[in-house]
Amino acid sequence: MCGISAVTSRSDAVQMLFESIKSLEYRGYDSCGVAMVSGGEIAVRKNVGGVDEVNAREHLTHMTGTTGVAHTRWATHGGVTQANAHPHSTTDGSFSLVHNGIINNYGELKEELTAKGVRFLSETDTEVIVHLIGMAYAEFGDVEAAFIAALRRLEGTYGLVMVTRHAPDTVYGARQGSPLVLGLSERGNFVASDVNAFLPFTRDALVLEDGEYAVVTPTSHRIARLADRQPVTRKPLRIQWDAETSRKGGYSHYMLKEVFDQPQTVQNALNVPQAHVERLADSIRASHQTYLMGVGTTHYVALTGQYLFSKLAGRYCPAVSSDEFRELAMVGPGDLVVAISQSGETYDTLRSTQFAKEKGAETACIVNVMGSSLSLSAGQVILQASGPEICVVSTKAALAQMIILHRVALALGLKTGRLERATHDAHYAALKGFPAQVQTALNEQSGFVRNLAERTVHFKNWLLLGCGIYQAIAQEASLKLKEVTYLHSEGIPAGFLKHGTLAMVDERLGCLFFVPPRADASLHDDTLNAMQIVKARGGPVIGWYFEGDTGAAKLVDDGLRLPQVPAPVAPYLELILAQLFSYFTALKLGRAIDKPRNLAKSVTVP
Amino acid sequence: MKAVILAAGRSERLKPFTETRAKPMIRVAGQPMLEYSLRGLAAAGVTDVLIVVHHKGETISSHFEHGARFGLSIEYIRQDPLDGIGAAVRRCEKQLGGDPFLLVYGDVLATGNPFKNVLGQYTETGGAVAALSLPTSSAEFGNVYVDHDMRITRLVEKPTNPQVSNYVFAGFYCLPASFLGLLAEVRNDMVQAFQRLVQQGALYGSLWDGGWIDITRPWQILDANRLVMEAWERAEIHTSVKLEGNAHIEGAVHIEENVRIGAGSILKGPCYIGRDSYIGNNTLIREFTALGPESIVGYGTELKNCVLLGRSILGRLSYIGDSVIGERVHLGTGVTTVNHFDDGRLVPFESEEGVLSSGHAKLGAFIGDDVVIGARNVLAPGTRVRAGTRVEDLISVRTIL
Repeated sequence: MCGISAVTSRSDAVQMLFESIKSLEYRGYDSCGVAMVSGGEIAVRKNVGGVDEVNAREHLTHMTGTTGVAHTRWATHGGVTQANAHPHSTTDGSFSLVHNGIINNYGELKEELTAKGVRFLSETDTEVIVHLIGMAYAEFGDVEAAFIAALRRLEGTYGLVMVTRHAPDTVYGARQGSPLVLGLSERGNFVASDVNAFLPFTRDALVLEDGEYAVVTPTSHRIARLADRQPVTRKPLRIQWDAETSRKGGYSHYMLKEVFDQPQTVQNALNVPQAHVERLADSIRASHQTYLMGVGTTHYVALTGQYLFSKLAGRYCPAVSSDEFRELAMVGPGDLVVAISQSGETYDTLRSTQFAKEKGAETACIVNVMGSSLSLSAGQVILQASGPEICVVSTKAALAQMIILHRVALALGLKTGRLERATHDAHYAALKGFPAQVQTALNEQSGFVRNLAERTVHFKNWLLLGCGIYQAIAQEASLKLKEVTYLHSEGIPAGFLKHGTLAMVDERLGCLFFVPPRADASLHDDTLNAMQIVKARGGPVIGWYFEGDTGAAKLVDDGLRLPQVPAPVAPYLELILAQLFSYFTALKLGRAIDKPRNLAKSVTVP
Repeated sequence: MKAVILAAGRSERLKPFTETRAKPMIRVAGQPMLEYSLRGLAAAGVTDVLIVVHHKGETISSHFEHGARFGLSIEYIRQDPLDGIGAAVRRCEKQLGGDPFLLVYGDVLATGNPFKNVLGQYTETGGAVAALSLPTSSAEFGNVYVDHDMRITRLVEKPTNPQVSNYVFAGFYCLPASFLGLLAEVRNDMVQAFQRLVQQGALYGSLWDGGWIDITRPWQILDANRLVMEAWERAEIHTSVKLEGNAHIEGAVHIEENVRIGAGSILKGPCYIGRDSYIGNNTLIREFTALGPESIVGYGTELKNCVLLGRSILGRLSYIGDSVIGERVHLGTGVTTVNHFDDGRLVPFESEEGVLSSGHAKLGAFIGDDVVIGARNVLAPGTRVRAGTRVEDLISVRTIL
């Protein structure tokens, strides 16, 4: 996911281009760059960081020109470096382009070009495209012909815009599998990833379809098909809706979009290099004491990890919340602190990591944002590669972190000898099959979850219960519920009930049980016991349980019957359903969802 | 962008109301169903609308004319013979002029504006977009499977598995001009055309989580009416409305021009009274009642959760609950719609396909246009009366010389 924008105007276009790329920042914000055509040359400025950061360093708004392209990046190929940031240009600077998408055959094309003497400055697939165009221009002497010839060689996806000093007032754009829209106005014409780039300037949009390219000047625009250069006539669309609607890609809220991203997120977590996983496992093994540290959702992720390390690797790695870490944890040389943070900027986590370092402990982290403070501060970094998480409430990032901890626990278990190879492999088989199961469950259970949420929306207070690792899941689910619905909720171990919490139970308290599969016999039976206890006291028993669990089915007053999945991934499936349940409850209650009251995405203050 | 609205079907399952009108003309919360879509389209920036008509098409065109009232330019395309949805769409080929277009199923009602979502997704994907919604039952619509990009990966046409509850097509689409060619290739079979798009990975979804209902059976008119009215937050009363002494209004009550409300009447919102209606003294109009234009309600009548399509006369001291009454109906004094059984069982509904379960424990009568029900008649729960029927007064005393 990246944001691309281009402007061609009769007057200076830098300010418009800057504002337009700023509006697309939600698409990616690890690096940014601008190329402007001015005085017959193309000036390029780019660097690592968000749009404002890069502007502060590179003074983007001081550039001049009437035609230019800009880009904000969420890195997929190649790390986050200045050299990898877009725009990319030909060696003589005569062509410059920005690109959103992935070119599958870039490897062979790069070899071919290198053999012809092209020198590459970056690790990106994008750079290959601009050099192909440059080479084709040398052959054809015509920009459009070169553009088309180069694009026809690409396999993969692209939404791209290009400027060239050979046609200083023209922007060339093309679309295949990545979005590209034209924005038409008197002040100038835009070619961009989505309408948010130009809504402040014009509401007239022309959508490109896959396989089409556009040639745009300040006073004209032309669309044609890449395959045969046949012109395409299409009338502009008048945008009558607000910017927010466009960003969510068909979803009504970022939260739901991110919940549906999870099959991909799990896959990305499984694609994290094994070497990184092993390295962390080795460090845990070598440490005297390892702490898992996060705050809020990441604390519950850490708690899940605590169970995994205990069960799979025989290591006690307590989850200690970042905000209380300095009060609770005894750290010193020989200890290891594994910090977990989506943004990598969480104040409490940064501070406690710093504290651990000062005490002489080793530090490691699992983060989502490349180049974040935590990733620079910790001794070891595992990047979870979950893509931007825009909803304030964390869903996919938390799941990815749990999967990664699961992998580390499996690796550690083999190393300590506590885990048999067969069990290890069974877990991996379960994890590998999980993305597809998540995809199916999200599709097939949505209606049931929505209906359950509507039937239970009258509960103002909730108790979420589970045993073992399901207790950690219940606690995270409880936090989700609080965050999006504003209802009062508490997650507790099911075994706690008899020891005090039971006094609260009556018909007004929604009791939601996370029932393990029957294969987890002792956890399963303990959970059912707790359900019996609640039922006997007139509490409503609501639960998710797995297909074939007739015992649970008889006990629940209402709930969801889930398709069976292997035991190792069962807790994660229940978490995902809980995310959906919170979402639909919040929807019914008319909550803001993506931006809950009183909350910020990244808590960078104490 | 142009829009095509499909409004040609006979909709036999909505008899008696579709005997005398096209289905999209059934009024819900005071407005013909189709009007909701037309207003939504206008608000989304559409200016040209093609409505495909056949069955009772004149009931549509005489009401909407050429759409100037809505800021639209409406053209009517007659589908003759009725040869399916795909053929209906293709009949619009010339007028669409090779542009992408919005396709709207005329019998779906959405509260709020799903078109903006669909168009927003279209600008992102540049391809075909289908609005998706979570229904309460999916058997009729087919199950859709989407991936994280909202690309539709699978479409199960007639799902038989009750264990799944997917998103379904909501009946609003944005389609490229090439869809018409695709339809030609699959002999106008819409489902096959969508399957082709899905196989090519060229169909995207746009979630619509606002209110949505596909009205297929008569009681769903009441469900739709309730859905729309539940969202009303304010009362709206035209300045020409006359409330006589002690008339009491509470809640989101919408009253159109020239309505007269008799003394001592109580209106509990949400409810709707159409223009030029007369409400007699001491009537009780309760939640989710919608009276169409020129309705006359006699003294002492109680109305609750019912839809009157307009121009009808309800005799004094009647009770109309959980019912739908057609146009130009005359109910005599004291007509009662019994709307439930003592044991609370679900009310069955007799149709041409046999007896159906309405899914409602409270269901009254469904009375077609131009019916006369004589004084003191009592209608059983779930009664359906064919248009034009005349039922005699329930006389118990004749001349005694």
